[in-house]
Amino acid sequence: MGHNIANPVSRKKFLRLCGSIAAGVAAASISGVLLRRALTAQPRYFWQIDPMKCTCCGRCATACVLPVSAVKCIHANKVCGYCDLCGGYYRTNAKDLNTAAENLRCPTGAIERKFVEDPYFEYAINESLCNGCGKCAKGCNSFGNGSLYLQVKRDLCKNCNECQIANVCPSGAIMQVAYDKAYMLKDA
Amino acid sequence: MKKKIFRNIAIVSAIFIVAFSAMLITNYFQVRGFDPLQAEVVETLKQINDENAGNVKLQEQIRQLDLLARRAYFVRLDHLRSGVYIMVAMLVVFVAALRFYFAEEKNIPGKQISPVDDWMEKTLARKYVAWIAGGLVAAALVFVFFTAPFLKSGTDALMGQPAGDVYAAAEQSAAGEGENVAPSAGEDTVENTADGLAESLAEAVGENPEGAQEAQNPAEEAASVSAPKVAHSCFRGNNSNAVSPARNVPVKWNPTTGENIAWASDIPRHGFNSPVITGNKVFITGADEQARELYCYDLTTGKLLWTLAASNIPGSPSKMPETTEDTGLAASTVATNGKQVCGIFASGDLICADMEGKRLWAKNLGVPQNHYGYASSLLTFGSLLIVQYDNSVAPKVMALDMATGDERWTKSRTDKITWSSPIIAYVNNQPQLVLMGSPSITAYNPSNGEQYWRVEGLSGEVASSPCSAAGVVFGASEYAALIAVNATTGQTLWTANDFLPEVSSPVATKDNVYLATSYGVLACYDAQTGELKRSHELNTEFYSSPIITEGKLYVFSNSGKMFIYSANQSFDLLSSFDTGQKTFATPAFTDGRIVVRTEKGIYCAKVES
Amino acid sequence: MLNAVKKSATLSTRILRIWATLPFLFHAGVAGAQRFPKPDFESGYKYPELYYAIPNESLWTAVDITLLAALMSVVAWAVIKRRTRAPVVVTSVISVAYFGFFRSGCVCSIGAIQNVAVALADSSYVIPPSALLFFILPIIFAILAGRVFCAGVCPLGALQELVNVKSYRLSKALTAALSIIPWIYLIFAVLFAVTRSGFIICRFDPFIGIFRLGGDIGMIVFGALLLVAAIFTGRPFCRLHCPYGALLSLFARVSVWKVKITPGCISCELCHNACPVDAIRAPYANKVKESRAQGVKRILLYLLLLPAMACAGALTLRVASNSLSRVNKDVRLYDMVAQNEATPQDVQLPELEAFYGQGGTVEELSRRAATVEADFRRYATAAGALMGMVVGFTLIGLSLKRTRKTYEINDAACVHCARCFSYCPQKK
Repeated sequence: MGHNIANPVSRKKFLRLCGSIAAGVAAASISGVLLRRALTAQPRYFWQIDPMKCTCCGRCATACVLPVSAVKCIHANKVCGYCDLCGGYYRTNAKDLNTAAENLRCPTGAIERKFVEDPYFEYAINESLCNGCGKCAKGCNSFGNGSLYLQVKRDLCKNCNECQIANVCPSGAIMQVAYDKAYMLKDA
Repeated sequence: MKKKIFRNIAIVSAIFIVAFSAMLITNYFQVRGFDPLQAEVVETLKQINDENAGNVKLQEQIRQLDLLARRAYFVRLDHLRSGVYIMVAMLVVFVAALRFYFAEEKNIPGKQISPVDDWMEKTLARKYVAWIAGGLVAAALVFVFFTAPFLKSGTDALMGQPAGDVYAAAEQSAAGEGENVAPSAGEDTVENTADGLAESLAEAVGENPEGAQEAQNPAEEAASVSAPKVAHSCFRGNNSNAVSPARNVPVKWNPTTGENIAWASDIPRHGFNSPVITGNKVFITGADEQARELYCYDLTTGKLLWTLAASNIPGSPSKMPETTEDTGLAASTVATNGKQVCGIFASGDLICADMEGKRLWAKNLGVPQNHYGYASSLLTFGSLLIVQYDNSVAPKVMALDMATGDERWTKSRTDKITWSSPIIAYVNNQPQLVLMGSPSITAYNPSNGEQYWRVEGLSGEVASSPCSAAGVVFGASEYAALIAVNATTGQTLWTANDFLPEVSSPVATKDNVYLATSYGVLACYDAQTGELKRSHELNTEFYSSPIITEGKLYVFSNSGKMFIYSANQSFDLLSSFDTGQKTFATPAFTDGRIVVRTEKGIYCAKVES
Repeated sequence: MLNAVKKSATLSTRILRIWATLPFLFHAGVAGAQRFPKPDFESGYKYPELYYAIPNESLWTAVDITLLAALMSVVAWAVIKRRTRAPVVVTSVISVAYFGFFRSGCVCSIGAIQNVAVALADSSYVIPPSALLFFILPIIFAILAGRVFCAGVCPLGALQELVNVKSYRLSKALTAALSIIPWIYLIFAVLFAVTRSGFIICRFDPFIGIFRLGGDIGMIVFGALLLVAAIFTGRPFCRLHCPYGALLSLFARVSVWKVKITPGCISCELCHNACPVDAIRAPYANKVKESRAQGVKRILLYLLLLPAMACAGALTLRVASNSLSRVNKDVRLYDMVAQNEATPQDVQLPELEAFYGQGGTVEELSRRAATVEADFRRYATAAGALMGMVVGFTLIGLSLKRTRKTYEINDAACVHCARCFSYCPQKK
């Protein structure tokens, strides 16, 4: 193939130029199309739990990529009934309304109970202990106002491109929400 | 000297890393797999404590164990966290030590490297590519072969069970491909490999379409291999809710000309009950003064597989109770859970058989006092058989074990005699057993018979059955009202009385309720408000109940005219055609087929082949 | 205070505040579940104010993008202009520390392929700007200066680069043949993305577990093994798995500025030997006694076979599409529901409980499942055809004979790690 040494070089160069142009045009058009759409509509980005769909199955506690789930229970005080016999705090057949282990629902003791005035008690979640198992939320949904519910804590969540919890969520409650709607709160 | 130090550091850190990672992995599984917070012992103890209060010793024990469990959980979590940090630090040390160890050794070849033979490499690479491609195809086919039988998706003609033939054929060709490639690999010319590949590819291409065509053959053969997935387990389908998950349902057939008719058959004895389907079997009953019988037909061929007579039952009356001509002795539809099938007759005789027609048990529930004839259909809920036994003496509802006939629970009712059938309504994840009576609609816990709620508002002779959708239960009786009940709270949402059914039962979607009246009106109400959205006056009569499947509402008029409407807001007529045979029973739906009981016999319509 | 986040809002987070004075609003659904009335407090009790932290995402996106572009520029300048390695190492450290450990490896360019694929297939999906830019910027840089992203900006490549100590060589024939794997992985990833069945690149990212110091144990072990392999051989993940690398190699072939062999090369072979990814080709004179006609015949044969291979691939995946569609949640749910409808169970799976609880109708679900299955059939057929073509083009590429007089750089494979420069005796 030695008879046209000069030619292949320029041909190669020409082909390469064509390739560059084609690649550039392809990249520009894809980015143009997508960018226009990205600028006109707001992307849904944060993973969050829709408390209306959540069935508190308990998978949030185990499916998250983090060692301790980014899903925590949060408490909507303004929905809470401040009950003495709290379905989220006490087990279903609790004998005495005290802090004894056999009466409590939370496996990690993350719910704090404080007397307000007769007959009301305030409940609060100690987030550092909560593992997002949703037992209290299930209890509160079944017997109370549903003021305890699960949310993805934005400061803990790594916001994976694909949420592992969403993959196993039985009710499709984990969805992506817009930037400015990072939480789906019951009292906001 | 220095080199030695770095080597030693590297070795030590490597040993440390291996040992430590083994520990970490064990710890990980302890934290994730065995959750101390779920410890069975503690849970069991808590349950024991629930049952007998005031055992101070037990409580003390629970508290101790609970504390231990919590401590274990958090300590392990803490260990895991710090362990990971140590691990990362050691990895950095290891890599750094290795770096320093090799620092002086650049990648300089010790001896002259033999010149690369580019072409040899390419030749070899081509061979590898052929192997990899063949391997991938084989892997894909093996994957399909192993997943397909367990999926049992009978929905897609190409991908359904009969496609097993395709996989087998394809696998053979894949195996052939391997054989073709393997021997040629030993030879040095690449052409052979390529030819082998080409051949086997051509083989695969040529063979697969054949297999695919086989798969697309009419459902006759398909169904003989496998049964459709969707059952129609009792009157008006699963849960008796009149909504069928069947796909690819026929839209046109004619028993007179045989168009789209898979088979037609006579039924030995008369009855107004409806067919039910499970697997490849169709069940139906018939009765007259002489005998009461349960029949099983083959869904594919229409052959009568077996007949089981309800005879020799203790307590069975020697003379049949009086019934009217339009009710008869076999008005109740049978129910099946896929393992057993049970049928009941106006004599109070209840029999249960397995799928092969072997009688498992039979009993007489007491001859029902009923001036038309007992007509409530049976219902299955898991392993339970629900019987609504609202006669004029002692109305009750009971649940029997389908396998043994043992009574699981029974509940007496205050309602007057009815001819309505029970349904299961799913409300907030929970099943509710809903019964209509006169004057109430009542919901029970199907597992133990506990009453959830009761709403009054019906009157007269209630023959129509309830239906439910999206947590709302609807019930109607003629001359009374159509009532919508919020099944969560038991509150009446609305009532309407523009058009009311007498025999036929309503059916509901999330948005609409549809019903068919005895004087030939099909009506559509808004499920939320009860507003009448649309009605069609058809100058006919409806006893058969409408069924919704694939977004279409199917209903037979008594004269045998089939009407198909869109089950949505607009409720438009999509199609109607006369079958020429009087039809009072409600047809049964499954994938690709509809089984219809007519006044005289039974036939099966199929999709166009 | 109810929540761990204190009132002090930092730059990186904004605080969502629940005002105690806000009027009491209910979702329609909550109202139904309201069993106990709101208490009337007599002791003057005030509702606690709640704070929930929200990361300032736009700020972080800006930092990410700026850093991405800056690091790629640095690498391009160092490798093309200065021909030196030190800045690449620094970049690698920064990238592993920032994109890897600090930002937990999300969002990354490799995973962004899937977001772009979904956005192209489904016009209702709005792609997050960060994902789009992470996808497109390295491509733009590749058109300009080759795979500078791979050099040390991609945290996965950078991690492998940093741990690499020795470059033991794998069989060239084997690596050449295995280079079809990234393409097949890419095609599968796009297939699952466009059918909305999951992002497999994210699920099977080997190093994400290491960056997050936790996660799926299987993937961490796989990642650790890859990393150990990376100590002794150059970038196993980049060469044998990375789908984005495959994509970038296309653009790198036609890049404007390229890494060049030092002018006045004395053919000492040191750079060829130093390259961890076999991107430097030695001079080669074709000594094989194979006639030109035979070579041409082979290429023609492969060209003729190309459609057959595409068909075979398409057919295989079409047959497999139904099995593949079980990855989709809706299809799986439909299977469960259909099974339950056929033989109802007393105790129900959480999936079924949720399905019936939300008032789902089997019919609607069946329609959804059927749509997904149809999508799978369509897309899997296309994917299979593409895979067949990948095999075909690889074979054709491996049939081309080329005589080289000097050392040449394979721009598609070169990851701009700049190791070769320090080996060159002609440099100073």
